Amino acid sequence: MTWLVRSAMCALYPRAGDLPGLEDCDLDGFLERFHREAPLRMSLGVFLGALVFHLTPLFTVFVPLPAFLLPPPLLDRHASRIAGSGSYWVRQAIFLVKFPAGLCWGAHPDVRRRFALGAYPADPADWRTR
Amino acid sequence: MPHVSFGERRFEDDVDYVVVGSGAGGAAAAVVLARAGAKVALVEAGAWREPEHYPSSAYGAMRDLMDDWGASVTLGRALWPVVQARTMGGTTVVNSAIAIRTPADLFSQWEREHGVGGDGLRERVWAAQEVLERELCVEEVPPASRGRSNELAMKGAEAMGMESHWIRRYAKGCAGTGQCLQGCRKQKKQSTNVVWVPEVLARGGLVLSCAPVTRVVLEGTRAVGVEGRFVHPATREQGASFLVRARKAVVVAASVTHSPVLLMRSGVKRRALGRFFRAHPGTGVFGVYDAPVDQNVGATQGWASTQYRERPGLKLETLSIPLELVASRFAGGGTELMKRLGQYRHVAMWCHAVRAESTGTVSPGPFGGAPVVRYTLDADDMERFREGLHLLAKMHFAAGARAVIPGVAGLPFELGQKDVDRLREGPTDPRHYIAVLTHLFGGCVMGADPDRSVVDGEGRVHGYQGLVVADASVIPTNLGVNPQHTIMALARLNAEALLARA
Repeated sequence: MTWLVRSAMCALYPRAGDLPGLEDCDLDGFLERFHREAPLRMSLGVFLGALVFHLTPLFTVFVPLPAFLLPPPLLDRHASRIAGSGSYWVRQAIFLVKFPAGLCWGAHPDVRRRFALGAYPADPADWRTR
Repeated sequence: MPHVSFGERRFEDDVDYVVVGSGAGGAAAAVVLARAGAKVALVEAGAWREPEHYPSSAYGAMRDLMDDWGASVTLGRALWPVVQARTMGGTTVVNSAIAIRTPADLFSQWEREHGVGGDGLRERVWAAQEVLERELCVEEVPPASRGRSNELAMKGAEAMGMESHWIRRYAKGCAGTGQCLQGCRKQKKQSTNVVWVPEVLARGGLVLSCAPVTRVVLEGTRAVGVEGRFVHPATREQGASFLVRARKAVVVAASVTHSPVLLMRSGVKRRALGRFFRAHPGTGVFGVYDAPVDQNVGATQGWASTQYRERPGLKLETLSIPLELVASRFAGGGTELMKRLGQYRHVAMWCHAVRAESTGTVSPGPFGGAPVVRYTLDADDMERFREGLHLLAKMHFAAGARAVIPGVAGLPFELGQKDVDRLREGPTDPRHYIAVLTHLFGGCVMGADPDRSVVDGEGRVHGYQGLVVADASVIPTNLGVNPQHTIMALARLNAEALLARA
């Protein structure tokens, strides 16, 4: 089901002009790490958020197809409208997808370079044992 | 074996005092006890990460430093995150180390409403804070580390005739890396894992990390130790169990959400336990400027105003959040969102903290899960909240912003100066706002009446012996200012009172 999450994230953070999109940011590596490291309920929340993203085009662009079957212009319009939904719970569901996607996008060296920010060194993931 | 981390073999030891939690309250209490020559065990649920172990990315900070990956939210009308750390040093590792003395009016309010406090406590707290300021090198954010966002805030405040100041922090020669939220790898921030935990060890103490306490061991109404089970910080697998017996007392300082729940799970019976939870909910308003601001250059928080603390009940301050968090904080999706993010270098985020009067509860989660916080802001607090946004937006325009990004659902993404009053008339439903609860209080509030409080004025749990609480959960009201200085001072006083009785 990772592809569902992946495609929702890429639609929310697409390439735009000279700004790299999420698909340029080693998203597969990030998702593998996220699913391995994050608590199960967090991964589940992201998946449910992605499901909401894919099952709602009928209410945003009035097309009875899942979002992953939409042509790019409609998908982009859907991404914009669903993220700004008038329903609090839908916005929260989409936020569950946007949040980890933003963590991946904003930490990528190409994105950071675009904003004159230095690349992050690798997180040590280490601690004191004695 | 002075430091014991995740282990496969059961661990047991006997000490004079066990302190649960190594944040502002726990470490402050532990170091006072250790300096008096007592054998102290400091037991921390999180891992012990030295500054070279701190992550750089926001992802790493959530994974390595935050309680429950920062995913705890209030249950109420809106789901607002409850931000606390879970690492050696607690929240002192990830906050901006802001030091503001406890406002005088609170001591009389505590005396009037809760039967503790008054002039005597005020004098003792302020004396303790004076010592803390020297010991932890409190200084104003130096000019070279302020960065443009903080300087713009000062400019906007001055243009509006607002009283404000450069923030004073427990930071020695801030390098202005804008990484306060991920822990200060430059070792400038004087978090408790850097200053006091090593001192406790050096004075013969015992430190347990990766060691969440599941129960305070009670013999009748006397606390005699703590027990729990080590948890691996990466895999979250459980390791061996541990038991640390306390000859004199157990000091609980596990945080506003964990301390009441720990006492409940230990069988402590107090009517007020878990009640009177309070917070300073807050949110940010971005200003959009023609010239780059580069808000992540300079101190994460360098400017503040307490002018509105009493009326309407707000604290205003700068807060530069990392690009990764701005990416999801901006509304929208698709190319529209990317265009908005394209102006990242030109935005500055300033935020407010509402001195909210609403109260909530803390209770154990199901199946031993994370504590559950039930909390919703009432209409009066939401009006304060809205007024704070309006003030911040006006400040941005006074500083030269061409637009503001308020982040309010139902309002346009950007507002120009002529539309700024729309914020004052905005919705009062919390679901329209993206807020965070940072400064937390209550759950084990202090007071003279055992029916309306959990601990007395020295942190002793009513009706129990050898059981003391020494964190923000004892604070019975909102402060209206950043709480770390108050938490540390109260914890020191509670530890000194313990020693005086020993």
